[in-house]
Amino acid sequence: MSLKLTTLMIAATVSAGLFVAQSNEPTIPPFWLPYQEANGDGERSTPRLAAGEGPDLPALEGVARDIQAMRQTPPKTERLAQAAPIVPFQISQAGQGTIAPGTSEAEVSADQPPAEVDETALRYFAAQGDTARLAAEIARLRQLYPNWTPPADPLAVPPNTDRQLEEMWQLYAQGRYAEVRKAIVERQAANPEWEPPADLLDRLGIAEARSRLVNASELKQYQTVIAVGAANPPLLNCSEVDVLWRVAEAFANTDRQQRAIDAYSYILTNCTDPAERLATVQKAAAILPYGLVLPLLALEKPPEDGAGEFDSIRDDLARRFVAQANEEPSLEIAPEYVDRLKTSATADGPASDALLLAWYYLRRDNADEAAVWFRRAREREDGADPSQGLALALLEQGKPAEAEAVLYSWREASEDATAAYLAATANYLALDPSPKIDEGVLTRMARAVIAERYAPSAQQFGWYARAFDQPQTAAQWFKTALEWAPDDEPSAYGLALTRLQLNDRTGFLELQEKWAKQSARIADLAKTAAGQAEARSSAAVRPDEPAQRDQTASRAAPGTVRAVRSSTSAPAAVAVTTVRRSGCASRVDLSRLSAGAALQRGWCLMELNRPLEAAESFGAALSTSNRSISEDAAYGQSLAYLRLGLTDRAAVAATRAPMRSERARELQASILSDRAIQAFQSDRYREALLYLDQRAQVQQEPVDLMVLRAYSYLNLNRPYDALRLFEAAAATGNRDASRGLADAKTAVGLD
Amino acid sequence: MIARRLIPMLTLLGWLVSTWPVAAQQGSLEASLWQTYKSRFLDASGRIVDNGNGGISHSEGQGYGMLLAFFANSQSDFEQIWSFTKTELMVRDDGLAAWKWDMATEPHVSDLNNASDGDLLIAYALAMAGAAWDRQDYLASAAALARAILNNVVVERGGRVLLLPAAEGFDVGERPDGPVINPSYWIFEALPVMAVLAPSDQWSRLGEEGIALLEMMKFGPRNLPAEWVSLARQPKPAEGFGAEFGYNAIRIPLYLLRAETGHFALVRRLQEAMTIDGAPAIINLANGEAKERLDDPGYDFVNHILACVSDGKSLPSAARELTSDLYYPATLHLLGYAYVVEKHPSCL
Repeated sequence: MSLKLTTLMIAATVSAGLFVAQSNEPTIPPFWLPYQEANGDGERSTPRLAAGEGPDLPALEGVARDIQAMRQTPPKTERLAQAAPIVPFQISQAGQGTIAPGTSEAEVSADQPPAEVDETALRYFAAQGDTARLAAEIARLRQLYPNWTPPADPLAVPPNTDRQLEEMWQLYAQGRYAEVRKAIVERQAANPEWEPPADLLDRLGIAEARSRLVNASELKQYQTVIAVGAANPPLLNCSEVDVLWRVAEAFANTDRQQRAIDAYSYILTNCTDPAERLATVQKAAAILPYGLVLPLLALEKPPEDGAGEFDSIRDDLARRFVAQANEEPSLEIAPEYVDRLKTSATADGPASDALLLAWYYLRRDNADEAAVWFRRAREREDGADPSQGLALALLEQGKPAEAEAVLYSWREASEDATAAYLAATANYLALDPSPKIDEGVLTRMARAVIAERYAPSAQQFGWYARAFDQPQTAAQWFKTALEWAPDDEPSAYGLALTRLQLNDRTGFLELQEKWAKQSARIADLAKTAAGQAEARSSAAVRPDEPAQRDQTASRAAPGTVRAVRSSTSAPAAVAVTTVRRSGCASRVDLSRLSAGAALQRGWCLMELNRPLEAAESFGAALSTSNRSISEDAAYGQSLAYLRLGLTDRAAVAATRAPMRSERARELQASILSDRAIQAFQSDRYREALLYLDQRAQVQQEPVDLMVLRAYSYLNLNRPYDALRLFEAAAATGNRDASRGLADAKTAVGLD
Repeated sequence: MIARRLIPMLTLLGWLVSTWPVAAQQGSLEASLWQTYKSRFLDASGRIVDNGNGGISHSEGQGYGMLLAFFANSQSDFEQIWSFTKTELMVRDDGLAAWKWDMATEPHVSDLNNASDGDLLIAYALAMAGAAWDRQDYLASAAALARAILNNVVVERGGRVLLLPAAEGFDVGERPDGPVINPSYWIFEALPVMAVLAPSDQWSRLGEEGIALLEMMKFGPRNLPAEWVSLARQPKPAEGFGAEFGYNAIRIPLYLLRAETGHFALVRRLQEAMTIDGAPAIINLANGEAKERLDDPGYDFVNHILACVSDGKSLPSAARELTSDLYYPATLHLLGYAYVVEKHPSCL
């Protein structure tokens, strides 16, 4: 709907006389008001909109206009001059059009003596001691009749002589609006001459609107909140601060932060209740980003007696700001707030203050300062969170031994703690030169690594054992690492090297055959005639590929422990090997990460071989509209599920974003091989063949799958088909195929 | 747009009320019956209490309450029920009514989703009342709600115009067997009025499609529609709901009669199939047996209408009193009664 159209609608509405405030009809907030508001934004360039959407936040623009408007109202009595402003917060540009009739009415009535102001409601609220609503009513009447003076004693307002009307007011004062509506119409039916007081109708409409707005706000129906607010200017003033808060919240949650700021500014500029003002700042800080809260703080009243108005909540603000900076490492906040938190943490502030600070420094690559505050937090209150943080800081400082010791007793407190502990073990073992580790510590590390099937540390145990010339033990660890992470090339390399050293020729060849294609260095080992000697002589030396070792050993967050994928389960062999200093082992609220950050975290977790978490992270990245990120995320999630053996989920993930055709083919091929293997292992051979056939349509069948196919035929009692395939496969030198060929020959009686 | 149309719409609706054979009229419900109904189910706050469902309220009940208040020509009661409906249920951003309200929960709206039949009933009642009592505010609200219904839950799927039971959870892509419909959500008599409020040819197509589906959905030995039907392929009872002709569905013949769609054979077929041993019943579609006999006279009222319309039997005196103590059958009773008063007074 274009703005032109909306303007026309307003004109039509007003000229039809249906929604002018003076109308005797109880006005139902019409639904097109919100649309005016929503569509009006950004379409017409007026100072206010420019202020609202522009980058340079002259947030006081709206306020200035409000003040100008106040100045236009005629002089008031002294009492009024002291009182709260009568110009309501104006929700929108378009809203002005609809507010106009009411405003002009106020101006007109200002020129005339207020004929008769119905003060009945004042007496009810006063009698009930309902000061909030008494104040609201006074504000409302002032808005309507600018030169009206509130009675000194509302209780002295004479009761209505009209008993029925008196009852209506009573129902109204009790908040029984539906019953007032009923009573009015009932009386009109009985006495067509009777006109309900306009005052009562107005107030009833406003009260119903307030209920509706509050209900919508509780249910997070922000469009409705804004629409109802726009249609009811009397709800938007200092006597209705709760409504203003809700309107501000609605704006902030519908991507109109500047409008939220306008509402908060309105309160801080115009309203005087000290508690409400403080609460306004706190609400704004809870909902708006740091940079937008600062201008609001500037609306603090000038200090009296040396104390600033917002002093009592500055500590709380500092906590919020630092916490926000923790979520967003690129956010720079004023040092004043960090200092304030330091003062609190050093004095008798809660452990959580020190913790906030510690994370703040850790996220800003200041491990030394972070360690200080993590220790402080642990002194106050030891727990998994500060211990985990301290361990990460120690890892950053290159002190994995201490990190291991700090985190050991908390390693099972959470998944993140476990991950950080495992990272500490890997980094500890990888120290160069290899440290002598206490046997008790070695044992407990080994237990944890085995319990979690953590391949990177198993690999490091392998290297560690080699460093102390225990090749048997080393071979066992490398083999274990390969069982847990079959694609881990460094483990295969370590194992190959160690088997050569142990003179295990068969074992070495077996590995070599499997890995030669993917790993040049393993292939090279075989070529070197002196391979064995070399392997033996290098027993006490670090493996000869510094790139691998350096990365693992470098003092760094756990994210640097690298797992290399081979092409068997992740055919695309994603080359995400950048070392990220921030790492991904620490806990994060995924919903707060940007899609790009979630994607990065996903790859980082894949490197740590934590596919389950990686899948979650990729999932969070999927929800973006950035096509390239969502494609990568879908791809990553699919790989993660494949690594977990969750083939069906991998298949679903693969469909979650359109993908480049080669990637899609690779994924599909991987998924289908996994399915075929699973079917085969469950003795469902027909199904296995079905998957293999499907797979063959996307990608050529590799030898190992040909063998699988052949065995499926054999099991389905089709030995001749099997024989033909085994022959072809065995011709490539595949050992399984040769074995299969023998089986098939037996089956057809050729043996 | 809506504002400019209000005045012609008013005239048009006035004409509708007086001449359209479908449109119901105020004054067709005796004050004493309405009084009894109110005393049992209307709370002072303006909410209709579903005492058969733990005392909750819902958009359907509010819509029925407003419609019955209109039939009883009680402007003040209408105003009271609408006040509650407006402030408590008309809160959704899309302009539809939240369907479920529970005193025991906070916020009281315990399910924000809408129920499309409740929306239709509220819009219909507002339109009729607004036209009859010259209330532009009712008409404006009715028009906005009709537009919201059209925009959000009247959809075209597989070449058919359908009424989704709610804005969330029933469409293609939201359930494996979506779209899923509830045939009893078609308030046939309201559709022509909706077309006046929010002009579109979708409304008449929706009505025709509703009839066509009722003719087509024949499940089990009794050839009855299921309460919830998947239209993903050939119509079939939807997953996850009992495959039955249930409490919802029991009102379909009454709705068809009230709307005077002229499909008398269809009404007759449905009514015969849902009647076992002389009383309406919840039917297990798989075996065609009664799952539950419905002895409350409110459910039976449709049979009296048929007996009168086809055999000229006048309404038994027992059926002239509101004896149902439960909200739902009592409502069906009064809807049926108002219809007889209006269209077949000779049956009285």
